[in-house]
Amino acid sequence: MKPLEPEDEEPERSGWSKIGEPFVVDLTHEDVFFNEYVNLGFRTDRWKLSPSLVKKALRDAEAAYLEKKGREKLSRTEKSELKLMVTKKLRRAADPATRVVDVSWSLNEGVVRFFSHATKPGTQMMDLFKKTFGLTLVPESPYTLAERIGLDKAQKTAWSDMEMTSLADRAARRPELDYAAEEE
Amino acid sequence: MTSDLNMADRIELRRFVGRELLLWLWLESELFEATLSTKEHGSFGLWLEGRLVLDEGKESTTIKGTSPGLHREAKESLLRGKTPERAGIHLSFGDHECTLTLRGETLAFGGLLPPKKEKEPEALTLDAPPPRPKKKRKEENADAILADDAFYDRIYFARDVEALTTALYRDFLALRLSPAWDKTVVPAMKAWVAGKDVDAGRYRTARSRVIPSARTGP
Repeated sequence: MKPLEPEDEEPERSGWSKIGEPFVVDLTHEDVFFNEYVNLGFRTDRWKLSPSLVKKALRDAEAAYLEKKGREKLSRTEKSELKLMVTKKLRRAADPATRVVDVSWSLNEGVVRFFSHATKPGTQMMDLFKKTFGLTLVPESPYTLAERIGLDKAQKTAWSDMEMTSLADRAARRPELDYAAEEE
Repeated sequence: MTSDLNMADRIELRRFVGRELLLWLWLESELFEATLSTKEHGSFGLWLEGRLVLDEGKESTTIKGTSPGLHREAKESLLRGKTPERAGIHLSFGDHECTLTLRGETLAFGGLLPPKKEKEPEALTLDAPPPRPKKKRKEENADAILADDAFYDRIYFARDVEALTTALYRDFLALRLSPAWDKTVVPAMKAWVAGKDVDAGRYRTARSRVIPSARTGP
């Protein structure tokens, strides 16, 4: 993990940290390995600046720039350069928001436990995991767990052929249609 | 398993199986009065508690309460074609009491907290000298050890609960992928949903022909 700095262009960055200690990012063997587990913090730094604060600071900076140059309008390039400058200045006065999710990879089981249900960090973690370890994670599902449990030949055939069980009562499900049918 | 399909399709096409697992757990927890069993774990308590979410397409019903499965609306939702998307489950196994939310389509847990450890009472002796102030370094080390302990408690507890739900899923699959599903389970489910009496003894006998029985006590 390379912590996010005010001068960095990206608004967000993720990486690994020591479990339980998000600001420890230079990891040693002892920080990561515990018996058959590889434990890591999945840390994400993100700049969270209030849009109204950015807007006000930008307005002030634009006014000062125009006054200094003795002009009435800014070019598109000048506007975007000023915005970048203002954003960096505001970032220097603040710290990025840091979010950490625990990750525990059980080497014996071949299972990675990720302690969050949110989709975005889950996807980002899987991308980083692939970059770091060269392995593609497959999120748990009824199919993957059935594979791990192992089905015999007859069960595999039944698994391929099965259809969803429906407890729906036609009368309870579509009362209007049934009523119309009866009238006809 | 469905070898002509790619992995993503094989996963997506069988997501409903997890919903059926929730449905089956709900049925059995009511039929067997919240006492289930697996071969590895013996008997344990399991019942629906907290929040039960059923849906079909964009239509969703959420039922909250101490026994959401017993709510009239819950069974009515099943009759309307909805299936359990997630269920709050109370587990009572070994020395553990816990609640969690199990999601059908991903089999993921939510809100699983390890049971709180009771603090060992400090020994009180009248003649004992006052404790010496600890050095800061030692305090930091102690904090780190406690944080580590909490993390590993969480991991080991999650693994224990996973082992239990995996055993339940294995038993469910044994039943789901056998002729007993259509012959015994589905008729029992239909009667249960319609509010008719289900012969729990007969169901148990049919079930035990497919699922290995729980180990007996020590």
